[in-house]
Amino acid sequence: MKLTLHIWRQKNAQSKGHFEKFQMNDVSEDMSFLEMLDLLNERLISEGKDAIAFDHDCREGICGACSLTINGTPHGPEAATTTCQLHMRKFKDGDTLYIEPFRSRAFPVIKDLIVDRSAFDRIMAAGGFVSVRTGQPQDANAIPISKEKADLAMDAAACIGCGACVASCPNGAAMLFVSAKISQFAMLPQGQPERKRRALNMVNQMDKEGFGACTNHYECEAVCPKKISVRFIAQMNRDYLKARILKEKD
Amino acid sequence: MTLDSKIPSGPLKDKWDKHRFEMKLINPANRRKYKILMVGTGLAGASAAASLAELGYNVETFTYNDSPRRAHSIAAQGGINAAKNYQNDGDSIWRLFYDTVKGGDFRSREANVYRLAQVSVDIIDQCVAQGVPFAREYGGLLDNRSFGGAQVSRTFYARGQTGQQLLLGAYSALVRQIGLGKVKSHVRKEMMDVVIINGTARGIVTRDLVTGKIESHWGDAVCLATGGYGNVFFLSTNAQACNVTAAYRAYKKGAFFANPCFTQIHPTCIPVSSDHQSKLTLMSESLRNDGRIWVPKKKGDKRPPNEIPEEERDYYLERKYPSFGNLAPRDISSRSAKEVCDEGRGVAATGYGVYLDFSEAIQRLGKKTIEERYGNLFEMYERITGVDPYKEPMQIYPASHYTMGGLWVDYNLQSTIPGLHVLGEANFSDHGANRLGASALMQGLADGYYVIPYTIAHFLASNKLEKVDENHPEFKKAEEEAKDKINKLMSIKGKRTPSSFHKELGKVMWDKVGMGRNAKGLKEAIEEIPKIREEFWKNLNVTGESNDLNIALEKANRVADFLEFAEVLAWDALEREESCGAHFREEYQYEDGEAKRDDEHFAHVAAWEYTGVGNKPIRHQEELVFENVKLAVRSYK
Amino acid sequence: MALFDYLKSTLLSKVVMAVTGVILVLFLIGHCVGNMQVYIGQEVFNRYAHFLQGLGELLWIIRIVLFVCLVLHIITSIRLKWLNFQAKGQKYEVKNYVKAKLTGRTMIWTGVLVVAFLVYHLLHFTIGVIDADNFSKRNMEYYKGEVVIAEDKVLNGESNEIGKLERQAETIKVEGKELSKENDVVLFFRPDAYSMVVKSFRQPLYAISYIILVIFVGFHLSHAIQSAFQTLGLNHPKYNCFFRAVGPWLSTILVICYISIPITIWFGLVGGGV
Repeated sequence: MKLTLHIWRQKNAQSKGHFEKFQMNDVSEDMSFLEMLDLLNERLISEGKDAIAFDHDCREGICGACSLTINGTPHGPEAATTTCQLHMRKFKDGDTLYIEPFRSRAFPVIKDLIVDRSAFDRIMAAGGFVSVRTGQPQDANAIPISKEKADLAMDAAACIGCGACVASCPNGAAMLFVSAKISQFAMLPQGQPERKRRALNMVNQMDKEGFGACTNHYECEAVCPKKISVRFIAQMNRDYLKARILKEKD
Repeated sequence: MTLDSKIPSGPLKDKWDKHRFEMKLINPANRRKYKILMVGTGLAGASAAASLAELGYNVETFTYNDSPRRAHSIAAQGGINAAKNYQNDGDSIWRLFYDTVKGGDFRSREANVYRLAQVSVDIIDQCVAQGVPFAREYGGLLDNRSFGGAQVSRTFYARGQTGQQLLLGAYSALVRQIGLGKVKSHVRKEMMDVVIINGTARGIVTRDLVTGKIESHWGDAVCLATGGYGNVFFLSTNAQACNVTAAYRAYKKGAFFANPCFTQIHPTCIPVSSDHQSKLTLMSESLRNDGRIWVPKKKGDKRPPNEIPEEERDYYLERKYPSFGNLAPRDISSRSAKEVCDEGRGVAATGYGVYLDFSEAIQRLGKKTIEERYGNLFEMYERITGVDPYKEPMQIYPASHYTMGGLWVDYNLQSTIPGLHVLGEANFSDHGANRLGASALMQGLADGYYVIPYTIAHFLASNKLEKVDENHPEFKKAEEEAKDKINKLMSIKGKRTPSSFHKELGKVMWDKVGMGRNAKGLKEAIEEIPKIREEFWKNLNVTGESNDLNIALEKANRVADFLEFAEVLAWDALEREESCGAHFREEYQYEDGEAKRDDEHFAHVAAWEYTGVGNKPIRHQEELVFENVKLAVRSYK
Repeated sequence: MALFDYLKSTLLSKVVMAVTGVILVLFLIGHCVGNMQVYIGQEVFNRYAHFLQGLGELLWIIRIVLFVCLVLHIITSIRLKWLNFQAKGQKYEVKNYVKAKLTGRTMIWTGVLVVAFLVYHLLHFTIGVIDADNFSKRNMEYYKGEVVIAEDKVLNGESNEIGKLERQAETIKVEGKELSKENDVVLFFRPDAYSMVVKSFRQPLYAISYIILVIFVGFHLSHAIQSAFQTLGLNHPKYNCFFRAVGPWLSTILVICYISIPITIWFGLVGGGV
């Protein structure tokens, strides 16, 4: 396969980026997308040029590190698939591809295609947990949880924190990510004592990080590699509103 | 030097309780005076950092990823074992202990394994309390499934993403402490060296992967939870960045490396499609429950699988192991696949693959049942290979998956360097020569949640540590060494990329130090590895700059250590003249191909001491004493 | 200002958008139902228009509520748009939306058109600045009803003031129009809104601009209604077919109803007698 790549190059957060054009003549359709970039990087290093920096790690669609926007869609054209599991057979010989980082004000570019997603960690630190210390809690079976609830909590918990929701959102909103965590705990008895606090603190931190506001396009759900449902955003909205109305001062 | 495992005296069942009572404590008000460095934030690192911070210690964590949540623990699929006996099928702490020792082919410490089985029960409770959404039955209680190597259902799971859910649980506890200011999290920082002052590990030197800055960090104790070294084979199921650097640099500073040759090969991975491949993807072993494994009888048979008639197929596992058939244990299944491929009967693009065929199961059970059982796996397979496994058999091949070996630690998880503790896959302690499915998660969390918080206190309380900071000359020295190393890598300006060396090394390791090993091949490897290393230091090309985010430099820095470490692995494999667990020496097998263990000469841990690059390391032995289990030969016929 | 503290929170801002939006939509539905009386006939339509005029203080309360909703809706939308613009940062060179529809992504622009339309519409039919001729000349139509004359005020049956009383010789006039007396029943008059609408919409400029702007209101609503459900937390797999469909359906129905009036007038199906 022959491909024309336009790849975003940016030295660091301060500098202005630009597209660099690469011609690929020896792409095999069995390659994964990232292996195609590996191949390009091998070539660049051989030519004495700086390799293209991109985030990746597990390459099996679970760590959430990979973060490329391919022809305007985060993680590329295949639904429910991370960039690392996208294969070249999904493209046609002669295609032109624009490869850009996950763009959002809250995800500043570090270099080339790598962005800083630490805002997600700070949101999590604001309340994405159940406050239990390591110890000897009660037996795991002491509180039954209906299968439906447990499954729904798992649906929410499947989020890999890649940030495609933010990257795809016309508003740069992080609500799918934040709501998935809030909803996971909202569904479980273990999450109840801190439910209001969690919703308030995580949403407040989300706002502080400079993410946008959801306008309910559901683009996030469409590009989410783990198919996280926007029903969790509705759940978060309910929880947050209830908390704002009912929560007493700390 | 004699290796003192510090195993407490007394009956097996009471050792840990007794030890917990005997260990010294630190008063809650004094804990905040101590700082602990935690390198790695996977299951072991995150759980340990969170637990220590909850106790009141100051903790600093380090990860080369952009977030603690991305550690490769996240990729574990199957589940986590615990001796809860919720299923009433005869499980107990003792049985989990026994299964683990037996599964490890009697090359692990009884006391460690028993402690692991004991705390396994608490781990599940802890995780549920954290909000980990384990699978449940309609009645609301936790569901279990069975896993290889066990006859009871003791595996707790969260769909096919148990590792993810457990890691996110530990990560949530960790970020809570970060939010409270008890943990300082360093991301995109890679450990370059351990700093030892007066014989005790007192800090680390790191490289900031974004700015290239070499920095020192002091601590009262250092913990490494930096995972395994499976990537020494280049292709493995490990994540791309998994490396041996932290463990290996500790080894170079005097920590012993134990049983490096115990590397686990997983039988059901998607085979290599061509030489650009970067990663092997694991397919759940559960597929072997309904799939039949075969290769053509004829060598070099290139016909599509559906055109090969039944009588020309060799269902080799069913033929060789009639009672276990396609469900033969991991190592046997893996080796048999290698055998038939070495005979030239392999399939796949490279000739290194075997068929895993569901056509019979689909006929017997219907497509719908198969879809219910394996739908998502079939989907994943099709996504990666472009082949529909409902119509054509899958192709599979073994791949490096987990490493049982690691830095030697005593019962307190302390390495041979005082103050340097090693947790999780990075240590060698609990799995012996082979790890049972769903036990890696258990061990990582056991070390982090329930062992290190006690043993660190004991270490801190028993040692009077002088006050040090980053300005100590030893830190300056280590920083200089790290800078020199980076400069050296940058200044070679040769012709070859870091990956090309990694690939070359991986090929030698996979061919000669992989699934089937023999003295000749191992000796060849020991000769070839230094040559690759020499070429590396002459002909490496790292482009870009050292004070910038430089992925080529990161890679080169890691490959440099693999190139030295590989030799230790090969030495260990050569000198362990027996076949046990995942270590299979072709010279040591019974006539029927079963592994021949040598308990008389090798019922010990081999711990290697560094003696300089290119020199043969010194082999130390820690004898393993089995007082509670009888050493028995495994048979799966 | 504490009242606008909610703007600091994206979620509360969204809730304000949803709540004010729902109120405005309810008004639109009510307004539409009222308009539909044009098909019943002049008498009914004019009585309805007159009834609204006669609501007095209540009318002003409704107007104030709607106005406050509108203002909050506009302020909040501007604030959110600015925030979202900021949050988006650098634009993609190539952007391919998988699911986000054009109607959703152009809310702020259709919103601007809705406001423009509202101003235009008020100037047209409420205040009478546009097509002023027609408005000021709207014929007063007589209708039967009881009046009470109290000092210089003329009150209708519901004791609402309908005008100032002017006595000139034998005739009694209210607001320049003559009242005539038949037995105890007084014939008096009200504005002929029906004729005014018909005459206005017979002019292509007014009819076409009205139709186009109403269609934009429809675009705005088709995204807005399902969006309000989601923002207010109404999302359940079992009922989502309703929550998601009600927006496009309702907005289509509203648009059809609204624009049917100028169209039927144009084709002479309505207002033939005017």
